[in-house]
Amino acid sequence: MKSLFSSIGSWLDERLGLSETLAPVMGHQVPRDTASWWYVFGSATLVLFALQVVTGICLALVYAPAANEAWASLEWLNYQQPLGWFLRALHGWGSNFMVGMMTVHMIQVFLFGAWKYPRELTWLVGVFLFLCTLGMAFTGQIMRFDQDAYWGLGIGVSMLARTPLVGPYLVKLLVGGPIIGAETLSRFFALHVFVVPGLLIGLVVVHLVLVLRLGINEWPMPGRLVDRETYREKYEELVQADGVPFFPDAAKRDIVFAGVTILAVIACAAIFGPMGPNGVPDPTLIRTVPRPDFFFLSLFAAFALLPPWMETVLILTAPVVGIVALLAMPFLFGLGEKSWKARPMSVLLVVLALVILVTLTRLGITSPWSPDMDAWSADPTPVRFLEGRTPLEMRGASVLQAKQCRNCHSLGGEGGERGPALDDVATRLTRDQLIRQVIQGGGNMPAYGRNLSPAEVTALVSFLETLHPANQPPARDASRPAAGARPPA
Amino acid sequence: MTSRPGSSLLARTLAAAIACAAIAGCDSLPGKPREADRPIRPSEVTDFAALWGTNCAGCHGADGDRGSSTPLANPVYLASATDAAIRGATADGIPGTSMPAFATSRGGLLTDQQIDLLVQGMRSRWGKPVSPTPPGIDDATAGDPGRGAAVFAARCASCHGQDGAGGPKAGSVVDPDYLQLVSDRALRAATIAGRPDFGMPDWRGESGREPLDAGQVADVVAWMASKRPAPIVATAPAAVAPAHAANPAAAQPTTTRNDHVP
Ligand code: HEC
Ligand code: HEC
Ligand code: HEC
Repeated sequence: MKSLFSSIGSWLDERLGLSETLAPVMGHQVPRDTASWWYVFGSATLVLFALQVVTGICLALVYAPAANEAWASLEWLNYQQPLGWFLRALHGWGSNFMVGMMTVHMIQVFLFGAWKYPRELTWLVGVFLFLCTLGMAFTGQIMRFDQDAYWGLGIGVSMLARTPLVGPYLVKLLVGGPIIGAETLSRFFALHVFVVPGLLIGLVVVHLVLVLRLGINEWPMPGRLVDRETYREKYEELVQADGVPFFPDAAKRDIVFAGVTILAVIACAAIFGPMGPNGVPDPTLIRTVPRPDFFFLSLFAAFALLPPWMETVLILTAPVVGIVALLAMPFLFGLGEKSWKARPMSVLLVVLALVILVTLTRLGITSPWSPDMDAWSADPTPVRFLEGRTPLEMRGASVLQAKQCRNCHSLGGEGGERGPALDDVATRLTRDQLIRQVIQGGGNMPAYGRNLSPAEVTALVSFLETLHPANQPPARDASRPAAGARPPA
Repeated sequence: MTSRPGSSLLARTLAAAIACAAIAGCDSLPGKPREADRPIRPSEVTDFAALWGTNCAGCHGADGDRGSSTPLANPVYLASATDAAIRGATADGIPGTSMPAFATSRGGLLTDQQIDLLVQGMRSRWGKPVSPTPPGIDDATAGDPGRGAAVFAARCASCHGQDGAGGPKAGSVVDPDYLQLVSDRALRAATIAGRPDFGMPDWRGESGREPLDAGQVADVVAWMASKRPAPIVATAPAAVAPAHAANPAAAQPTTTRNDHVP
């Protein structure tokens, strides 16, 4: 048996010359320091990509890229096809891990100065790999074609539409019309399975060739400056003097780490299961609070927090500035110190970026500003706020529900959190202030003047005035001794 | 490979067994989507508790009572209201009040079938025989406000105050703003079915009293309704109570009432 394999192997090898090409690649010398656990993230990302390709092909066997069938085919995988859900979960979690792993890889490369001379091109290709991976994550989310997907696409399209001059054309090209429609899904399917993966594979090849040609970045030492004249010579010396063969010395860590990563993906898939599909995408179903996948949560949060006038500016400039900065970096700072110990600003930048990302993502997860669309009819007015109330105040509570104030304001911890909780609003605002707030709105609150009859305003405000703890008196208007009391009708 | 053949066979069997167990066990992995979590369209929901919980609990209370609006988990209410009326109120809403229309044909989100399910669900969950039979809520006998005042003084004033403007145990039922937000039907419902959830007796009155008859109910409702200011119409801003003078919204009333105009 064994001899049969090896004879087939040597037959092939004689003709293909594989060992001739591969042996030097595998065995090439790398600086001893780089056989380190810090240098494993790139290869793990590559292995995750391979996992995505394999699971993706399996999914494509079943998936129906038509607007009216996509959702059903995923449901079929989830509930009918044995282990279909697991396949979906692997692909979904693989994607999360790949984005995460790639980010870690980029941070490591950034901090270790690996993007400096002569590896600028490797970095540039890496930046495009990162963008393509985000592109895969985004288009992948659309493949689900559920409400979350629809939402993510909606945001993406509205971002794109704001591009000056060409915006509408780009939208048309991408979604196949001015709005998300029947053709949209097939376009995104083509992007997700042909265009972007094709780009990715091509870029990966270039990236790897470059890594091999230029050598793995040596462990950076403070004070060991990069100089265009001497760097390559010094690197050769270092490898000659203190090098180890890539395989197995360095590669064994890559293999172990990649294995652990894949196991982690499997565990996540088994424990947390597939993502979605979360409800039929149907623009008429307004009662859900859709949410993008986690890599876009920070974006979602940024949108929700920004004042409207800043949105366009930020949407159009921030990505461009960010990408240009990443691309220009090796040309502007391509020489000098490599070690992060000697580059405090770089460390600060990474920390800052991470803090912003994590905070925004957390905000995106809890998303207090997105209204709770069901609250008005689903969350009962807490009974303690109704006990001992007059019929007018009771009606006021009904108006509060009916006018959907609860979608933004919570009572007793239930309801939206876009506006402040109203449990003790009467201790903060006097009757006049309450009336003004309700009629004129302000901040992020709409003005209700035109949508409330005078009787509704009176009932609503009478109810709001009762919202204060028993031991804490309502706010009083010093200029009006009778404030708080209802003026005679 | 110098290991004994037996042990390698054992190892293979073991591996195969583990693989089988793993595949069989996948069905019980925590990540496997459960049939119960399967998303369904809101229009496909047929569970009473879910329908009630998302659509009605907000105003009528989580359990059908102790909400801001008419308690429906009240056997007396259910005994005195017809299915058609309950269905009608749910489907078309009650104009001029905070009760919205729920039928899809009226811009709501419930199908006719779901509304029927709600009506049946309320009856089977909360309804039970009541004796004596209460007057019908939908009985549209016109009452006499004059006689109603007397009924009120005798039966209601102990809680709502002599003139109905609020007393020791309950608030005003003649407040003009309140009356503009409540339909005559709801006044009848309160008079007949009470608010047992907040301590208001039904038509039988406090213990030891004679139940009100249909005429008395109509009279006392007519008396309360007679305190309602003229319906707001855009051409008659003077009808707006002075309390709203400082209120910019007063200039553009949006609600017109039509259900209590004789
Ligand atoms: C035992 C005291 C008591 C008596 C007697 C009483 N009520 Fe009430 N009534 C209440 C309470 C308590 C409430 C509920 C709290 C509230 O809405 O202010 C209430 C509420 C009401 C409401 C408002 C219902 C709503 O949902 O808007 C009306 C109308 C009403 N009562 C009419 C009457 C009439 C008519 C009578 C006499 C036939 C009467 N009440 C007798 C205590 C009483
Ligand atoms: C779209 C969400 C939204 C809706 C709907 C909404 N509000 Fe607000 N509300 C807000 C926000 C946001 C604020 C804070 C405004 C600010 O920053 O000045 C607020 C503030 C308030 C305040 C002042 C609270 C305080 O502590 O200062 C009151 C009172 C209030 N709203 C009542 C209402 C009522 C009554 C309704 C229904 C008629 C309503 N709101 C509907 C978002 C909303
Ligand atoms: C936004 C608040 C609100 C919601 C949500 C709401 N209701 Fe109502 N409902 C009211 C109010 C207020 C009234 C009393 C209206 C009046 O004055 O007649 C009412 C009255 C009714 C009545 C008529 C009572 C009578 O007088 O016979 C029925 C039946 C009813 N609601 C059923 C429902 C059902 C079923 C749902 C859920 C599908 C629901 N309501 C949801 C506010 C609400």
